[in-house]
Amino acid sequence: MAVVGLDKISKRYGSSGPVVVDDIDLAIGDGEFMVLLGPSGCGKSTTLRMIAGLETISSGTLSINGRAVNNVPAKDRDIAMVFQSYALYPHMSVAENLAFGLRRRKIASDEVDRRVKDAAGLLGLTPLLARRPSALSGGQRQRVALGRAMVREPQVFLFDEPLSNLDAALRVNTRSEIIKQHHRLGSTMIYVTHDQVEAMTMGTRICVMNAGRVAQIGAPLEVYWQPADTFVARFLGSPPMNLLKATIAPDALHARSAAVDAPLTRWSDATLAGIAGCEVTLGVRAEDLLIDAAALNGQPHGSIRGRTIAVEPLGAETLLLVETEGGTECIARLPRNVVAAPGEAVELFFSAEATYLFDGQTGRAVPALATTPAAQKAAAQRKSH
Amino acid sequence: MAQSSALAQRPAPMPRLFSRGALALILAVYTLYTLGPFLWLATMSVRTTAEISADHYAWPRPFHWEQFRSAWVDSDFATYFWNSTLVVVGAVAVVTLIGAAAAHALARYRFRGNRLIYGILFSSIIFPPQITLISLYQILVDYNLYNSLLGLSLVYVSLQLPLTVYLLEGFFARIPQDLFDAAKMDGYGDLEIFWRIVLPVGMPAIATTLILNFIQLWNEFLFAVVLITDPEKRTLPIGIRAFMGDHFQDIGMIATGVMISVIPVIIAYVFFSEKLIRGMTAGAIK
Repeated sequence: MAVVGLDKISKRYGSSGPVVVDDIDLAIGDGEFMVLLGPSGCGKSTTLRMIAGLETISSGTLSINGRAVNNVPAKDRDIAMVFQSYALYPHMSVAENLAFGLRRRKIASDEVDRRVKDAAGLLGLTPLLARRPSALSGGQRQRVALGRAMVREPQVFLFDEPLSNLDAALRVNTRSEIIKQHHRLGSTMIYVTHDQVEAMTMGTRICVMNAGRVAQIGAPLEVYWQPADTFVARFLGSPPMNLLKATIAPDALHARSAAVDAPLTRWSDATLAGIAGCEVTLGVRAEDLLIDAAALNGQPHGSIRGRTIAVEPLGAETLLLVETEGGTECIARLPRNVVAAPGEAVELFFSAEATYLFDGQTGRAVPALATTPAAQKAAAQRKSH
Repeated sequence: MAQSSALAQRPAPMPRLFSRGALALILAVYTLYTLGPFLWLATMSVRTTAEISADHYAWPRPFHWEQFRSAWVDSDFATYFWNSTLVVVGAVAVVTLIGAAAAHALARYRFRGNRLIYGILFSSIIFPPQITLISLYQILVDYNLYNSLLGLSLVYVSLQLPLTVYLLEGFFARIPQDLFDAAKMDGYGDLEIFWRIVLPVGMPAIATTLILNFIQLWNEFLFAVVLITDPEKRTLPIGIRAFMGDHFQDIGMIATGVMISVIPVIIAYVFFSEKLIRGMTAGAIK
């Protein structure tokens, strides 16, 4: 059990090299499952490796349970890590792999045996204990890697994209296994991934990273419904949020462009008055776009006009790719019975409540008065945690 | 229709049999070509020089097994064998240990001059070792190591170290970094990681260098003949040379001596051959 604190942590390679992690502030609570989410090269793995003690920290303070551990070697931090490549010792059996870390810590051999047996039992590895890693499937290897971390009974678990090398079905199973173990152990876990589904389903909170910096920290649904900027808005969600350039009308009641017209009911008059006439980025999620305005039951709504480029029937739903009159591409997630043909003119509708507004220059979200119901639920979830 | 075209594409049994037969024939011829001289040597080792002179290729009648006893006891091959074992096993052990440690350091740690050291080691492989003979002779004389087994062993270490480091560095560099990180997280220090991870995981490559170095040094003649003059300190290759006079060459005993000297090489090869092949082909397939 541990509280992990990152206070203005930075990582620079060499004295004049690039800054790969820049001024990260992050407090991870006891028993929390924190997911570091971001695209490749955003610095999430480097951050994890600094927490593990495998990378030196250029500046800032890393603390575990309030004690600064910047200069504490990896072996003395009481942290276990599960690697993307599993990193099992190929010349040892499963049992030896599980026990390797315990033997170094001079734990009595009957206690080592007990822990190995317990972990093997929990993870279904008992029949495989005598096998070498080369004789295991990908999923079995991943379970051994998880078991090797578990037997250590560490204060903190670190996971570096542990599911990336598994096929889709196995990924779902192993994901559930890790969640189950988190609930059982109640340990602090820090999990790095670029997969938003993993982040949304596993994390107590998500820390979205971009270009070495923290873009947003929050509960999964909170981050989804209240993205802090256009990067987070596009990174979370599949298909990503549609973003269109528009200008706030002089009356500050609408955002308009050649392709879009959106009523701005979610923002206070004062906020809108401050940005009247300014260029903004308007955001609408694919699932909030409708082909029929009647479905909105007379609620205030906006519209996007364009031409269908492609139709992708997925069975349960249909994705419609539209090129707007402004030249921007939009994706709408529509019911499966929608019929459309490429080249057809199309108008998509969205509720005023489903509109997001971002600063045209900085990309930061313009704070809204009220949030969507789902976002309110997410906020409640965060508070209860 | 599709079925008939599939049938048409299937290779006919006769050509396949023919190609397999041809392959077997080529392998048989090649095996005979390489094994022939060895078998000839083996037959000569149990024939006297007079018999060999009368008919070079005749089958031994009778088998003169006493030649082995004579070489071992009367011609001091027991001493030569022991000297060779001491020098070569000692040198190979040191080369393997230092070479593996150096290769691990060069492959794993970033430090100033890493590539420079590697370049210097690599360049020493390019030059023929004979050019170092005179200077090594002088160094050994200066340090009272001339005409000593320890001196010869040290020379052998310096001769084989660059190639050993070169071969092992290539293999060790391919060991995933995650394995080292995992061992660090498990609580192991650098030296323990070298012993417990690098050496066992790198065993195919280490076995390769082990056997290559052993064969190379076991048969080494030039440095041994220059740096050892005392008959009691001769190694096997110099001992075999004792059967070669200015006017008479005892071919039968030379063959017997060569057979004695080749036995450890065969044993070593049989023992390590599987790992040798794995080491040689490491990285060839994923």
